[in-house]
Amino acid sequence: MRKLLLFGIVLLFAGFGLTAAGQAESVQQDEPVVIRIQGYGGQDPAIVVRLLNEVIGADLEKDNIKLVYEPIEGDYNAGLYNSLSAGTAGDILYVPVETAPGIIATGQIQPLNGLIDTTPFIDSLIEAYTINGDIFGIPKDFNTLVLYYNMDLFDEAGVEYPTDNETWSSLARKAEAISALGSDMYGIAFQPSYDRFGAFTFGAGWTPFDSQGKTNLMDPAFVSTFTWYTDLIKSGAAVMPSDLGQGWTGGAFATEQVGMALEGAWMIGFLNNDAPNIPFESALLPAADDGTKGNFLYTVAYGINRQTENLDAAVKVLAALTSEKAQQFILEEGLAIPSRKSLADNPYFKNDSREARANKAVFVGSSTGNVLGYQFGNVGTDWMTPINTAIVTVAAGEVSVQEALQAAQREIDEMMK
Amino acid sequence: MTDLQNPDTRAELNFLARRRWARVGVVYVLYLLFMLVFLSPLLFSVVSSFKTNPLDYPPTLKTPQLNPLNWIAAGKLGKAAGGGVWTGGAEPGNEFTFSINYFIEDIENLQEPEFTIPRRKPGAGLAAVKVPTYAADHLGISEIEETRREPYLLESLSGTAVEYTITVTYPEGDGPLLERVPLDILASTELIYLSSTLPASRLERRGRVASFDHIAPGVVGFAFYNYRRVFDETESLSTGRNLFVAWFGNSLFVAIARVVLNLAFASMAGYALARYSFKGRYLLFFIVIASQVIPSQVTFISNYLVLRDGVFGITRLFGVKSLLNTLAGVIVGGAGASAMVESAKVFIMKQFFESLPKETEEAAFIDGAGHFRTFFSVMLPMARPALGAVTILTFQGAWNDFFWPMIVLTSPEDIRTLPIGILYFRQIYGAAGDWGLILSGAVMSAVPVVVLYVVFQKYFLQGLSFGGTKG
Repeated sequence: MRKLLLFGIVLLFAGFGLTAAGQAESVQQDEPVVIRIQGYGGQDPAIVVRLLNEVIGADLEKDNIKLVYEPIEGDYNAGLYNSLSAGTAGDILYVPVETAPGIIATGQIQPLNGLIDTTPFIDSLIEAYTINGDIFGIPKDFNTLVLYYNMDLFDEAGVEYPTDNETWSSLARKAEAISALGSDMYGIAFQPSYDRFGAFTFGAGWTPFDSQGKTNLMDPAFVSTFTWYTDLIKSGAAVMPSDLGQGWTGGAFATEQVGMALEGAWMIGFLNNDAPNIPFESALLPAADDGTKGNFLYTVAYGINRQTENLDAAVKVLAALTSEKAQQFILEEGLAIPSRKSLADNPYFKNDSREARANKAVFVGSSTGNVLGYQFGNVGTDWMTPINTAIVTVAAGEVSVQEALQAAQREIDEMMK
Repeated sequence: MTDLQNPDTRAELNFLARRRWARVGVVYVLYLLFMLVFLSPLLFSVVSSFKTNPLDYPPTLKTPQLNPLNWIAAGKLGKAAGGGVWTGGAEPGNEFTFSINYFIEDIENLQEPEFTIPRRKPGAGLAAVKVPTYAADHLGISEIEETRREPYLLESLSGTAVEYTITVTYPEGDGPLLERVPLDILASTELIYLSSTLPASRLERRGRVASFDHIAPGVVGFAFYNYRRVFDETESLSTGRNLFVAWFGNSLFVAIARVVLNLAFASMAGYALARYSFKGRYLLFFIVIASQVIPSQVTFISNYLVLRDGVFGITRLFGVKSLLNTLAGVIVGGAGASAMVESAKVFIMKQFFESLPKETEEAAFIDGAGHFRTFFSVMLPMARPALGAVTILTFQGAWNDFFWPMIVLTSPEDIRTLPIGILYFRQIYGAAGDWGLILSGAVMSAVPVVVLYVVFQKYFLQGLSFGGTKG
């Protein structure tokens, strides 16, 4: 029996030894400092590799820093919380704007005051990561909403293209004209969801949290925006993407049954791939009838893990990743929209291409009117669920605006107790 | 003897025959229904994985990619462009022609369509990050030629069919092999698209633009366009390795390693529990069985921490700080179906050994065989059916395992197993609405298990019966 046990243990160790031999890195004296970045999966790993190879790699090598990017596939926020509590989180972390307050509240993110100069970055972006005067992240890039339109449909309906000075009423008129083209044609695709609709409420002067930190859905500004939004859907001038068998307004736009859609710069890559010949252009979001625009800021920042053993090196990497030349590279390759103010004058934005024009509109959107981060306090994204439900039920004609909003208000109050 | 002349007997026989047929009918209808329910999703996903737009609505089983006539056309185009009949693409010093047919009701309104080779990045996702080679920078298009004009009846409309042809030229020189040659043809609204050398990938702008992803694809490049993308577009930018191949290899390694470990440990444990009487034997067996009912979600945190610290620091002896992000971690670590040795497999082996006659072992002992000899040379060969069942069930479980590898393997990107890789595809391509590549990746990842199932069906059923009956 003992022999068997011994045999088993030897076998086990031999197995470890074999795999270990394959994977162990050679240990040397002047080993570089390894900085681990934990971030989104998808395209980001490839973008970081290109940044390293083509822009910042040589500088980091001089400082004897090795950068390792560790993507989290699937639910990033769940993955981040797990690794923070297991103590396996990277030295530099992506901090998404929608969950930033909650993540920062755990105390695991290093304040960057005094470590990095934050003045070159767009103010509204830095603001989304500022809590009680401490800055917890440097936004790596961002998106806002712009109005995309299909020029073919406007030509066909004989309507003027949307401009940067559109208002809600003029938008509604244009949408109605487009929907008059046919029974299966619609002026604009509206997602029945706060993550698009919210931008209009900001234009009307509403804020998600008042001075006491409470959410008030019965505010006249919110109610009127809500009524306008749902009325457009009910009248058939606007359509929910699901009614066209699509999951999002971009998909609806690609069917060419919809004249306009509100999305960010992520729409461009999708259209180039799925509907490359749609003649689309973009404009700034329409303003409320008093001329005020509103918009969401969707962004993600680099934050530094408070537990990191290599703070100096991490700061150097963070500075390199958000440096002017890194951001310029990202912009000129059309990969993302940079967070530095000075890049507003970059020649890329003056390119004569619809991509450049749409990116420019996204960039300008970040500083036009009431622009707020895509944030919901410590509650997180659950906060908007009652509002989304209200939009769907009212648009389907199941309940009145008043009833739906009262129900949503009750749910949100319950959540924020 | 039945009296067939008797009308009563005949009626009875007819009744019985009718009832028999009715029963057969019911059984077959049920069969067909089950087949429809279980097989049609599979069928549709396989067919959809070939389509340019797998989300097309209403869904159809007829797709141009599966039409042999198009294969011939695609092969000819690939050959003429210089890339070859099978894999296609354009090489310098070649030219090929491409035609499109339109219907027009009133020939007076005829206007020539516009042909352009657009500067377009191939695909979304990873390909969008890479630096592409644009076909537009290398290829030239000849003047448009009208090659045919004849009366044509479209549904009930009478009019004319017109064919236009262009010649695409890749001048001599040291240009690269163009893996993708897109083409857009813009026509006026009077022209209605009928057909072209290869069917259009999509019609856009309310039918005015016929858009082609690749007009020199070769047979494989046309029919297996999505499948090819799985290999072409998924290189790791840091190591240059093909990710899909790497993931496939990882999955295979994990699955085989787990099969070997399960075979070794489950058979030994099963044998010991079946044959030896020692103190605490029933308690041990009870624990083995009880461990089956604990969901792996309960134990994964502690298992994760054990791996993180390198199994209480033991692996540090070999210079490995942590087993996270190693395949060894996936193999050693999990609970439940992801365990190095699974309690259900021990149970199968125990039941099987109990069903074998004791006399064989006694004979072996009398002949002078020791415990090991008896086990390895006498009992194990007799347990082949159970070993087969364990092999297959373990392989299938390990191949499809998602939760545990997802937790252990995060970086670098080529360390993942296939199911995690498919998730990655979903994230990177699904976000751009590009489902073709994801579906074809998923179909390919299902192939080994399907093959295994078809070949070893017998053992699957046996595996179930070993688990279910007391020997």
